[in-house]
Amino acid sequence: MTGLFTSVAEFLSRPYMFIAFMIAVPALGGVLVWLLRRFGAARFIVSLIFALSNLFFAASVYYGGGVNTSAPFLRALQLSFITTEFSAMCLFAAAVLFLFVSAYSLSYFKAGHGGVFMLYYFISLAMVNGALASDNIGMMLFFWEGLLCTLFGILLIGNLNNPRTAIKALAISGTADLFMMLGIVATIQAAGTVSISEMSSLPVTKMGALGCVMMLLGALGKAGAMPFHSWIPNAASDAPTPFLAAFPGSFEKILGIYLITRIFTDMYDITPGSAISVFVSIVGAVTLFLGVGMALVQKDMKRLLSYHAISQVGYMILGIGTALPVGIVGGTYHMLNNILYKSGLFIVAGAIEKRTKTTDLHNFHGIGRKMPATTACFIIFGLSIAGLPGTNGFFSKELIFDAALETNIVFYILALVGAFMTAASFLKLGGAAFFGRLRTPDGIDENEIREVNAGMLTPMCALAVLCLAFGVYNTYPIDTLIGKSLKIEESFSGWPHSSTLVIISCAVLAAAVANHIYGTRHNGGALNAVDHIHYAPGLKQVYAVAEAGYLDPYRWFMGAVNVFSAACTWIERGVSWIYDKAVPGIVNGVGNALRQYSNGSLSRYLITALVGLLALIAIFIAAIR
Amino acid sequence: MEVLINAIPYLFIAVPIVILIINNLLPASVTDKYGVRGGMILAVTNFAAAAVEFILLAASGKNEVRFSIFWDYTEKISSNNGAYINAAYFRVNLITLFLMACIGIVMFASNLVAEETVTKKRGSYLNAIITLTLGMNGMLIVTDLFSLYVFLEIVGISSFVLISIFKTQKGLEGAFKYLAMSSFATILILFGLSFLFMTNGSLTYESLKSLTIKPNGNGGAFLSYIALAALTAGFAIKAGAAPFHSWLPDAHQSADTSISILLSGIVIKIAGIYGLIVLTDLFSEVYAIRLSLAVIGVFTIMFGALLAMRQKHFKRICAYSSVSQMGYILLGLSAGSKLGLIGALYHIFSHAVFKSTLFANAAALHERLHTLEIDEMGGLGNAMPTTSFSSIVAFLSTAGIPPFSGFWSKLLIVLALWGSGAKVLGGAALIISIFTAAYFLRLQKKVFFGVTNEKWRTVREVGGSILAGEVVLTAFTIIGGVAFPLVLLLLSGIGLM
Repeated sequence: MTGLFTSVAEFLSRPYMFIAFMIAVPALGGVLVWLLRRFGAARFIVSLIFALSNLFFAASVYYGGGVNTSAPFLRALQLSFITTEFSAMCLFAAAVLFLFVSAYSLSYFKAGHGGVFMLYYFISLAMVNGALASDNIGMMLFFWEGLLCTLFGILLIGNLNNPRTAIKALAISGTADLFMMLGIVATIQAAGTVSISEMSSLPVTKMGALGCVMMLLGALGKAGAMPFHSWIPNAASDAPTPFLAAFPGSFEKILGIYLITRIFTDMYDITPGSAISVFVSIVGAVTLFLGVGMALVQKDMKRLLSYHAISQVGYMILGIGTALPVGIVGGTYHMLNNILYKSGLFIVAGAIEKRTKTTDLHNFHGIGRKMPATTACFIIFGLSIAGLPGTNGFFSKELIFDAALETNIVFYILALVGAFMTAASFLKLGGAAFFGRLRTPDGIDENEIREVNAGMLTPMCALAVLCLAFGVYNTYPIDTLIGKSLKIEESFSGWPHSSTLVIISCAVLAAAVANHIYGTRHNGGALNAVDHIHYAPGLKQVYAVAEAGYLDPYRWFMGAVNVFSAACTWIERGVSWIYDKAVPGIVNGVGNALRQYSNGSLSRYLITALVGLLALIAIFIAAIR
Repeated sequence: MEVLINAIPYLFIAVPIVILIINNLLPASVTDKYGVRGGMILAVTNFAAAAVEFILLAASGKNEVRFSIFWDYTEKISSNNGAYINAAYFRVNLITLFLMACIGIVMFASNLVAEETVTKKRGSYLNAIITLTLGMNGMLIVTDLFSLYVFLEIVGISSFVLISIFKTQKGLEGAFKYLAMSSFATILILFGLSFLFMTNGSLTYESLKSLTIKPNGNGGAFLSYIALAALTAGFAIKAGAAPFHSWLPDAHQSADTSISILLSGIVIKIAGIYGLIVLTDLFSEVYAIRLSLAVIGVFTIMFGALLAMRQKHFKRICAYSSVSQMGYILLGLSAGSKLGLIGALYHIFSHAVFKSTLFANAAALHERLHTLEIDEMGGLGNAMPTTSFSSIVAFLSTAGIPPFSGFWSKLLIVLALWGSGAKVLGGAALIISIFTAAYFLRLQKKVFFGVTNEKWRTVREVGGSILAGEVVLTAFTIIGGVAFPLVLLLLSGIGLM
């Protein structure tokens, strides 16, 4: 098997082969699936074939020793793809997730629907592959922006008449990408090369500092950290569930965290406690705290999950931002775990939506009995994200806690509070949606609530199994997948070495359970289990303001834009006045004066000519000197 | 070949004279009917002879061809003080042949229009046309300033006659204004010539070219400067440059449209600009001439454009536009470089063609509407598509929009100004050309676009030779623009660039 992988990887290292098989072929697959969009089974099989072939190539790249290829393109540009072990690992992860999410998407969309979505999704895969493997940093930017384009395109589907969310996503991600471009230019300037593999431990000074901060901002924006997060909850309301699993759930996390890790581990020389490290840690802590704070009070399944997608990225960034080996390993491990359980959760949400036609938790209750497999998967994902000891989320979170505590206790406390709220919100979600008395939405019969088809169930279960495996056999992901690829000698696998931290984490979980029990009794029903926090004095007003969108940076930005555009309008009016009124006025005035002067009187003509003659003579005399 | 090169120049004098004689031998009833045809023959021969001679001369690599009529120009004549001087001679060179070809084009277009507009006195009309052509050809072939002046007067007098030939009130008034201003020009030119003669003792180009006028010299230099200022002013009056332009709109507006074409298209250039070309060539050392041309040029462009913007009469707008375009030619000359000269000459061609087109449009409109007040027009583009199209092409060429010929000539002029160091002037020339676009846009909008005036519901496209004239001239504008790279190749091939 290894021999096969090695030979395939060598094959991909030939000129143009990587771009053909990992970028062009997925795009071609997208076109085929789009062409077959009306034929449910055919498009499923074709999509599966292409996803599996991509997985095979990605696995070959990872297990076969990576690709290292460089070929001239149009003479000027070198198409160089060089994978490190880490990027190969990310390629592999993206391919795995793509396989599951694409299978799920095709089951989610009825035949005849979702063709354009799948086309964009396949192209996105091509873009992700390209961005992860690019060695030329400019080429990476090309693929990076390509992903933005497909994101915009997908958000436009079905919302062509009201593209507000798409435009918001484009504006926010576009701003982040603008930083990214600036950062890339500065990085090239600082490094003196465009090749990522030749950038190692660049000093974070002057141009390097600019490049580092700007690239980090771009990567944070892609991962969905604050303040580049606010389009995700809107997308949760407007976009189909597969989109959430595909983009905020997996691709954007992989790409964003990949670049942040690359910047922290090899491109720049960032030491623990340095300004950059503190800055990124703060962004992470704030993101996780505020994200989960908003998630806590959501009563719509998709919105709740989307806020968790934001909050979880906060953990990863906090971990990596500490720049400690334990934090980097923890953050990266958390990213892998997160794409498993968060995509899984979105798939679960999609499955429920399929049956109940709604994601609003007010409308249904206790459907667990009717959908046992889905419920089982949800429990696994929920426990993982909440960090029950023994699950994969627990291990990665413990590593991040460790790093946070070592950096600053404030980070640790924020992370702990975050963990509490995560657990509380999932208890609420589970309690309301799956357990308790069965209640179906209006107009939907009890019998209509049943298990979803295998196309959805299989990816869900596979992700759940992977989740469990990553928890139980955490040596493999931590040491083999991450530790080896990041060349971190120290081993962080196995049971957390600090029992104190484990005990505190357990206490936090216990508090969350206690809170849930208290809230359910006190507020009447699992759905309202956190209402005593939501409507606590002080917090109530904060939540009201936040829910109304007043804390959305996009909103502030658009306000500033409006002020700016009003100012521009005034300036433009002034300029228009000059062009429309002042200049024509002067021209016409002078023209009229001249016209009245030349009234046909011959004597006047002669006198004018005489004056002209005198002027000429004056010029000549002046020129004599 | 050699024989042909030496023989063709005689045609420029012989053909007008022969046609003149035939015209006056034939009975008046015949000439009144076919007079305009004679003008066409004259125009075609003039153009063909100039074009053939241009090609032959360019191919032979010679600078000029000398010839004489009744005397031997190779003879040496003893002068008063015992030394020998060369006999006078005529000559044609590439520049004058190019201008003669332009004369042919404009003359032909004018006669095409005249076929429709000139309905009586065609014999007398032809006589005046022939003397005009003879005068212009003469101006181009002579080699001394006084002969130049004599032919200039012939051109002037023919023009007065042509303007007033139908003895209308307006025509007489316009001719009189032209006459009065021309007399002023005559005074200035004669005055300048006499001063030059005083200092140099000869007015031949050869001797004047060797005359050096030192800026810090004695009283003679001062007199020479006054003489040159007077000559420049005199030719500027003839060219219609500001502030000597005031006669031009009156004369061009009041003349018959076919004559307006002649006056605006070629006469002001031969009578005015060619004189200035000779001056800048002879006194290339004298910076003051170029400086004054630059000043006059900028003022002319501005005044012409500003005045054109506020006119209400189609032909008057065109006349003021001519004033404005003369400014560009003057600017080209003021660069003092070969490129500037070529730009100026090519703009003479461009302007000759597009202004003739616009006057032909005026003739077409007058033929159909019997008025040329633009406020009464509107929306005629549908009714008169060819007229409208040719007018738009001419306007675009005037405004210097690629790929029409006006673009290239203006480009050469701006490049020449830039290259000679007068970057401010070059920039100014570019910026002021916005005005050109402005006044012609106004004209086009009021005449061919917008709401059709109810009065003109039944108007149809003009037919006959006016239409032919419009088509031919538009073809020249487009070919002159699209084929300009070939022209450049030709110019560099014969070593002019």
